[in-house]
Parts: sequence; structure tokens; C-alpha cells
Amino acid sequence: MRQSEPRNASRRNVLKGAGIAAAGLSLLPAGMALAQGTAPAAAKGPKLLEMEGKAKLIVLGDKPLNAETPAEMTDDDVTPIDKFFIRNNGLVPDAPADAKAWKIKIDGEVEKPMEITLGDLMSRFPNVSYKMMLECGGNGRSFFSPEARGNQWTNGGAGCAEWTGVRLADVLKAAGIKPSAVYTGHYGADPHLSGDTGKPSISRGVPIAKAMEPHTLIVFKMNGKDLPLIHGGPVRLIVPGWAGSTSTKWLTRIWVRDKEHDGPGMGGFSYRLAKTPIVPGSKGDPKDTVILESMPVRAVISFPADGAKLASKKLDLRGHAWAGENDVKTVDISTDYGVTWKPAKVDAPPNKYAWQRFTASVDLPAAGYYEVWAKATDSKGVTQPFVAGNWNPQGYGGNPINRIRVLVAT
Amino acid sequence: MTQLNITHVVVISLTAVFLLVALDRAGELRGPQPTYTPPAAPVAAAPVGQIDPDKGKPPPHNDTVADLPDGKGREATFYTCTACHGVALIKAQGLTRDLWDSTFDLMLERHRMVPVKPEERAEILDYLSEQFPPRRKSRNADNPFLK
Repeated sequence: MRQSEPRNASRRNVLKGAGIAAAGLSLLPAGMALAQGTAPAAAKGPKLLEMEGKAKLIVLGDKPLNAETPAEMTDDDVTPIDKFFIRNNGLVPDAPADAKAWKIKIDGEVEKPMEITLGDLMSRFPNVSYKMMLECGGNGRSFFSPEARGNQWTNGGAGCAEWTGVRLADVLKAAGIKPSAVYTGHYGADPHLSGDTGKPSISRGVPIAKAMEPHTLIVFKMNGKDLPLIHGGPVRLIVPGWAGSTSTKWLTRIWVRDKEHDGPGMGGFSYRLAKTPIVPGSKGDPKDTVILESMPVRAVISFPADGAKLASKKLDLRGHAWAGENDVKTVDISTDYGVTWKPAKVDAPPNKYAWQRFTASVDLPAAGYYEVWAKATDSKGVTQPFVAGNWNPQGYGGNPINRIRVLVAT
Repeated sequence: MTQLNITHVVVISLTAVFLLVALDRAGELRGPQPTYTPPAAPVAAAPVGQIDPDKGKPPPHNDTVADLPDGKGREATFYTCTACHGVALIKAQGLTRDLWDSTFDLMLERHRMVPVKPEERAEILDYLSEQFPPRRKSRNADNPFLK
């Protein structure tokens, strides 16, 4: 390569050539790149999931496996299992030989501590089904600038499935909650990433009031099918509207506490927001934080896709909006960078904690490039910011106005 | 003398035939016999109720040192961090040295990482903050129509 350069090549050009050689491995035969021990050139675009029973989700990390659903794959009213996002904190445990023999322990501040099999749980308590959101606490993290620490979720760490299970409240009542109970601590069977079985990979919990909320379920079916292993099967918690990390997968124990739970994932900046606003990019003070409880309000356009080329100036768009503990009251659409807004039609949720369908028809004025923005407002009047604000080191609460970019053909 | 009558002839003849057949081990005087079939060997399948414990798990994933960009501290970083997680998680970050430093504490305290010597920590932090600094671009840096 060097030999082919003219003798009087400027220093700048030589450097540029070297830079291309270093960065663009596609200039080298693939075998040569591998022989030199360098990484093969990254394929263009994100890495897509290749896993039996799962769609081609966007892989954010392989170990632990975390994969998000692209917005255009979130168009179903009920998210199919194959399109549902994957979030792991540890390793995936072995599938049990007999799911119904799986044991769950309820102990701590209860009159009658118990260990119950999944089979007994299913037959002893009323079975209920709800369509409910499950959303990663870090959903929207990639919108922070500068970068916040963790998996860089866009809006795809969220889905709305139909979950079937028993009410955690019924189980806790059967165990007899003591007046001293204030918080739960949840444990699952997922081994720590190091393979050390003595370390829980994560253990989060919720205040007793949220644990007793009638939509908080111990779940064993997803969309009418046995809960798949990758989604926490045979049995998990669903604590709807709150950070997904409280919806413990592979549930083995609920420890009723007489104080706020202090398991891994409860301290520092984990699932916490800064109480006093901090300078973006700074370390912050872990003592000056508050636990992220309800997830924030968010709208996501599921059709058309970001980057769509439109044949017509008339655009019929649709998507979903949700707001943690609250309902979505309105969704507004702008095609002029927020100068003017037009209300979308918003459907009522089938039950509390389900996402809500919005649809809108907009007339773009002429051919060319547009951004289409969608902004939801919840039942408390809280809406989405133009940019991800309240920066925090681990990037929670990133819910800026959703946007897609479209090109109308001339 | 005992006379040989027809009864004697028949009895002697039949006895001779039975003896011949009984002693005919090669089976030349007998017709085709059903061949012996041993009982079927137990099928190698798993006992009823037992399932593959790995079914439904994600495919196995292994990184190599070469998956991280070259630089001083690459090996120390690789072996320290990938004891638990993949390199994709490292590469997705863009942090100042200060935040990489607090990330190190997070790994020790929250994720129970095995501690390393101070000089090794410094080497890893130098590597991480040099290779993976804040680099988020403007919101129009990835415009789909500029590809």
C-alpha cells in the first residue's frame, strides 16, 4: 500500500492512508485480518438476535443477553412472545425438569412462612390475566447526552403481553403479613455472571402497598403459553408500571422486610434518580438519590418506521403510549419540530397498566424531509420533554418526545 | 423267540425317526425354524419427564481479546471485565475517566467483582477512558437518508 503512494505524498495523506488501513479492515482480505488477531470489521447496522423462538431483536449485549424490540416491531396490540424484549442481569438458569415442582418461599415479616410449589400456587389461588407493560428501568437511556452508564436502550426495552398468574396480594395474605412489613425483597434463580452461585445477580423489591396492588402478579403464562425460560419461566413476578428489575424472573423467594430492601440493585445509582439535579456527565452523590418507582410517560410510533420513504403526502401513523402507574390522556403529533401540534386518537387501555393505541392522520405540506414527533401526556398532566433531562449516571427516566424521520417522494 | 409284528415295526421306525430328529443338531432334517430375535435394547432417550436443561437458553457467547481495540491495558481490561460480562457492554459505554472510575466501584460494590491491584486498576481505567470516552454525536449524525 505504502509502495503505491507517490514519493512526495504529504504527511497528511500518509496519515490518512494509515487511518483507513487501521479503521477499514474491509481493505484487507478477511483471512489476513483474522490472522493478525484484529477484530473483523463490524457489519453495518446493529447486531440482530439469532435465537430459536425469538425474532431478530437488536442485541445490546451478548453476555448477559440483552436485546430490544425495534419500534416498527412493536405494532401489535399484544406483543407476541418472539418480539418481546430480553433483559438479563445474570445467567439464564437451567430449565426445570418439572415446572410444577418449582418452589417459591415466602418468609420474613409474615405469620406463617411458607414454601409453595408452582403447581400448588396455580391451584390454590384464583388465576387472573391482564395485558400489562413490562419495561426495563433503563428504557430510553441512549437518549442521554453525554452517555449514561449501562445498556443503551432506545425505546425498545418495553412490551405489553398478556400475563396470567396469581395475585401476589393473595399469596401474602395467605402467609399473613405482619404490621411490621414495609417492603418486599425478591430473589430469582439466575446465577451471577461470574458463575458464583453464592451471589444473587440482582435482588430488588417494592413497598408493601405496590406488592398488594391487585395487578402485581406471580406469573406463569405469557400470551396463554407456558412462560418461556428466557422470559423468566416457569414463574416470575410482574410488577406492572415499575422498573422491570422488580419483576423478578425465575422467582424463588419473596422476603417480606421490615425496612426498605437492600439487595443488589437497590443501592448506589442503581434504579435511582438524582434528588438534587446534577451536572450531566458528573459523578453525583449516591446518597442524594431517590428510587425510580413508576416508569415515565412515553409514546412510540410503530408505523411507519424511522427512515421510511413515503409515496404520499398523507400519512396515517400509529403507535402505543403508556405512563407507568398512570393512564395516557393525550398524544399529540407535530411535523414541524414542535411549532404546531395535532391531537392523535387515543384508545382506552383494555385494563390498567396496558399500553394504549394512538392513531393519527397527518397531511405533510409537500415533498421532502420531515420529522414526525409524538408526545404523550399522562392522566396527571405530565408530558414528555424535548430532550432527555435530569441526567443521572445510570441513565433512568430518559423519555424525550419520540421522533421518526421520513422522506416524501417528489 | 418273539415274533416281529406290524406294531413292532411301527414303534421301532417311529423311535428311530424321533432319535434322528432329536440328534440332528444341524437341523438338516427339519424345516426352516423361526430365527431368534433378542429383546429390543432400551431406547437411549431420556427418562420420561426429564428435559434438556439448556433448552430455551440463549446461544453460548465467547469473546476474545481481539474484540477490544488494541491499546495499553487491553489484556488486563479484557480478563478483568469478561470474567462476568461480554465486551459489547464495555464498547457501548462512552464515559469520562471519572465515570469509568465510579463504574469500577459499581462493579466492586454492586456486582461483587474480584478486586484488582491499584496499579492494575489505573491501567484499566487509562485504557477505558482513552478507548471509550464520551462520543455521543448530535441527533442528526445518523440521518437515515445520508447513508
